[in-house]
Amino acid sequence: MAVTDKSIVNRLYVVAGCMFLLAMAVFVKLIVIQTVDGAKYRELAEQRTVKNFTIQPNKGNLYSDDGSLLATSVTRYDVHFDAVTSSNANFEKHVKALSDSLGKMLGKNSAGLQQRLRKARRNKNRYYLIARNLSYSEYMRLKNFPLFNLGAYKGGVITEQRTVREYPLGSIAKRSIGYYRMTSDGVVKPVGLEQSCAAYLDGEVGHRWKQKIAKGLWKPINDNNEVEPRDGYDVISTIDIGIQDIAHHALLEQLEKYKADHGSVVVMEVATGEIKAISNLGRSSDGSYYEKKNYAVGEAHEPGSTFKLMAVTAALEEKVVDTSYMVDTEKGVIKYYGKSVRDSHHGGYGKISLAEAFQVSSNTGIVKTIHEKFSDDPKRFVNRLDAMNVAQPLGLSIKGEGTPRIPHPGDKYWSGIALEWMAFGYGVKITPLQTLTFYNAIANNGEMVKPRLIKEVKEWNKSVSKFDKEVINPKICSQETVDKVKQLLKDVVEKDHGTGHRLYSPNFSMAGKTGTCQKDYRDKSKLNYISSFAGFFPADNPKYSCIVVIHEPDKSIGYYGADVSGPVFKKVAQKIYTSSPLIDTIDDLNKVNEETLANYEDYYKKAQTEYKTIPNVKGMVGMDAISILENLGLQVEVKGNGKVANQSVQAGEMIQSNKKIVLTLS
Amino acid sequence: MAKNTVVKKIDWLSIVFYMLLVGIGWLNIYSASVPVEEIGAFNINNLYGKQLIFIGLSVVLILFILAIEAKFYERFASIIYIVAMLSLIGLFIFGKNVNGARAWYGIGSFTLQPSEFAKTATALAFAKYISDIQTHIKNFQDQLKAILIIAIPSILILLQPDPGSTLVYSAFLFVLYREGLPGLYIFFLISLAFVFIATLKFGIPITLAVIGTGIVIYYLIKRTRNQKKAHKKKIKILPMILYFVTCIAVSGATSYIYDNVFKQHHRDRFVLWLRLENDPVKMQELKRDIGYNINQSETAIGSGGLMGKGFLQGTRTRGNYVPEQHTDYIFTTVGEEWGFAGTLFVVLLFTALLLRLLFLAERQRSQFSRVYGYSVAGIFFIHFMVNIGMVIGLLPTIGIPLPFFSYGGSGLWGFTILLFIFLKLDANRGNDWMEA
Repeated sequence: MAVTDKSIVNRLYVVAGCMFLLAMAVFVKLIVIQTVDGAKYRELAEQRTVKNFTIQPNKGNLYSDDGSLLATSVTRYDVHFDAVTSSNANFEKHVKALSDSLGKMLGKNSAGLQQRLRKARRNKNRYYLIARNLSYSEYMRLKNFPLFNLGAYKGGVITEQRTVREYPLGSIAKRSIGYYRMTSDGVVKPVGLEQSCAAYLDGEVGHRWKQKIAKGLWKPINDNNEVEPRDGYDVISTIDIGIQDIAHHALLEQLEKYKADHGSVVVMEVATGEIKAISNLGRSSDGSYYEKKNYAVGEAHEPGSTFKLMAVTAALEEKVVDTSYMVDTEKGVIKYYGKSVRDSHHGGYGKISLAEAFQVSSNTGIVKTIHEKFSDDPKRFVNRLDAMNVAQPLGLSIKGEGTPRIPHPGDKYWSGIALEWMAFGYGVKITPLQTLTFYNAIANNGEMVKPRLIKEVKEWNKSVSKFDKEVINPKICSQETVDKVKQLLKDVVEKDHGTGHRLYSPNFSMAGKTGTCQKDYRDKSKLNYISSFAGFFPADNPKYSCIVVIHEPDKSIGYYGADVSGPVFKKVAQKIYTSSPLIDTIDDLNKVNEETLANYEDYYKKAQTEYKTIPNVKGMVGMDAISILENLGLQVEVKGNGKVANQSVQAGEMIQSNKKIVLTLS
Repeated sequence: MAKNTVVKKIDWLSIVFYMLLVGIGWLNIYSASVPVEEIGAFNINNLYGKQLIFIGLSVVLILFILAIEAKFYERFASIIYIVAMLSLIGLFIFGKNVNGARAWYGIGSFTLQPSEFAKTATALAFAKYISDIQTHIKNFQDQLKAILIIAIPSILILLQPDPGSTLVYSAFLFVLYREGLPGLYIFFLISLAFVFIATLKFGIPITLAVIGTGIVIYYLIKRTRNQKKAHKKKIKILPMILYFVTCIAVSGATSYIYDNVFKQHHRDRFVLWLRLENDPVKMQELKRDIGYNINQSETAIGSGGLMGKGFLQGTRTRGNYVPEQHTDYIFTTVGEEWGFAGTLFVVLLFTALLLRLLFLAERQRSQFSRVYGYSVAGIFFIHFMVNIGMVIGLLPTIGIPLPFFSYGGSGLWGFTILLFIFLKLDANRGNDWMEA
């Protein structure tokens, strides 16, 4: 060896020195981490192991006024399959049975499912989707399928649970009941009642500080910081699902018939302002209709002739005219400041009373009257409208109320013809619900009440808060005026020449005003109509008020308020009439009763007799005949419907148990 | 008779260190792997349970190693080496790919990592070659052969790829140095590594300027000294120029190697380690994403404080914040649950073992035993240094286990065999001349 002892020792020192230096570096760094920077790291560690947990409360339910569910929260389950975790033996043993069970439940081909499950296992897919949106009972069923019943680790079933909002009424009143939708910035927000009642429905989240003690395991630190979650309250709305259903379908039918762009109908209880039904339907690109926007609440538009009620009420209340005031409609065209006001009836109506002008909805008649009486002091007219709370925001619980507008002398909307145009509903803007509120006030003998959607807020069975009617204006006008305009509205339907006469029914009384408003009238090629009908029923002692507004009906099919919107109003009124015993004034109901009674007596007599032979059931109502014959132990087969015309086993034959008898009904 | 000699002559102090390290290691694996609901119970299928089996099998291995005649290891070193190399080559065909590296043989659910055993084999072969009477370490050809013995397993392991285990073979350079390899070689290699790192950090001009200035100063010092001496020797300028040219080549090739040889995750680690990113936002992102392990491990260790949080009380450990905590990052558990006191104790324990090994190596009479002993100490040192250096953020992230602490059968057995062959050789040192 060429290396001397001394150099070996030197080399050993070099090696040991290097080791020592490196070890020192480690040592110094350790000291720095654990003592100098220790506080910082301890804080970091604390931050990362302690977390404020949010405990979500259960959301409250939304009910209709009779306690039917409108919106509720239900738990839904998404099930995935970890195709790797189960053992070969278990997988092979159960995969066929599992596929069969799944196939049966999901309505899929069992062999195809098995193939896909095997493929998932081959591909080591640990998150293969089995089914989404399962209900609790479906989930319980699935959990007991072969392989899945072995649990998460051996069976590989992965369950995710989430709470979703369900709406039992489906698309009916969807917009007003509300729903949750994603806004453009990606936040899920409710609309409609879900939104306006969110403060009640949501409840309050709880908080709990927890410390991470192991993977996926957190233990509460202490009880002091805890905030208990409070479950959301239940909200009982004013919606009557019966009336809502009628209103929805009546509106839908009419929209489809007239291929209109959109429309809304609102039914309000006269005395309380409770909204019993609110339906808003808009046409989608494929021509079907759905609850798109809350037009009734949000869309302020020129109302047209329905606003004549406000004009005439103001004039009557100012006592400048009476309904008998005679006005010359001047062949149906009158010019103001170079612009013409025309009547829809070509050639006008000649000299008529103000009442008649209202009944036939003569533009010239009403405009001329207002012009004559108020043009020297338009402020007086406008002030009267304000005093009657016409077109004032209602301050609804549902957000997005349209802003009404009435031009006032001096403001930027005022012009030389503002007064005249206002008289027949142009130049003003008002939402359907605001219009309805005024009509409702007339029906309610001058007491204007605020439309309401919420009746009561409950925590389980305990009432949290009750909402009674809110009076906006206890008397918008004198009783005298109320009586006069009520008669006018009634005559619109009842008088032969009234624009609403097509709605007339001898069985029940209605009162209301038509409106056929031109829309986009500045450009003739785009000219469209807004057809409306507002009113109340029964005409005497009204119970409900209702407004129907339909935008842009197909002009070639029709556009007059009475034709387009009137039928919706009539259908709603008629249906409520016949189904509500409170306002039952139908005369022919007894006739039905008599017939039923006769049938029943006939049946009763036969049913009471003891038979040894087959009875004669000819002429009996089918159901009654079946009932009697089956009680005798016969097997009855029925053809057709109606009353029994023929029986295969003739009367007088001996009764044999289980003998077949064929009844021919007609 | 032979057994009695072993019991009497074996270095019991080393065995005590070994038992302490394995025991403390297991406690930490237990803490890092036992689920909270299992505390108190014992689950043989969990990591700590398996590790206990590995420890039990280690005892069997130890008895086996001690029972074998000491001369066997020297005589069969070459064969052991060849078998080990074959097992490394076989990985490319039969190896099981885990986390992107073909470093394991899979036998059922059981995996074996041959690189853990290749260290021992290489150390044996290396010791045998160096101690061969024919070998002269000053001889260039012999130097080359010695380096080849180290290079073969290094390259095979680098190709798996397992850069961490490759790094371990640099331990043999220390041994070569100790056995007479000119220090220039070591200096040369280390300085080139520095050139590479310096170029990354400071760029080519600054790096080369500094090296150039260094060489000129070195030359001037040499000349000044030379002028004072009576016997003037001619100063060789050519090696200096050659060295500078090599530096230029390495420096110039740096960006090519960095961009093309290294993978993105290697580059990220360099960026993080050398603070190469100037944009503080991006640096922060890197720290969060790539430096997650370091961040977490530093947080865990740092939060331990002076005395630690106590056994099973480490929130970072129990919360599974630190990835791979039971393997490469097991030291974080020590830091968090036992605090500075615990880490100091473990570091001291390792230092004591290393010093004891160096002491034992130095007292060997046979060169084979001595070289082997140095190799063992070197390998332990590299593992210990690089692992702890990585965990506390001193070195870039290199996956390398902490001997006796990190979870894993192959690792534990590899280190046990490595250590106990040396202890057997040491116990046998008196018989060397008698049997030779």
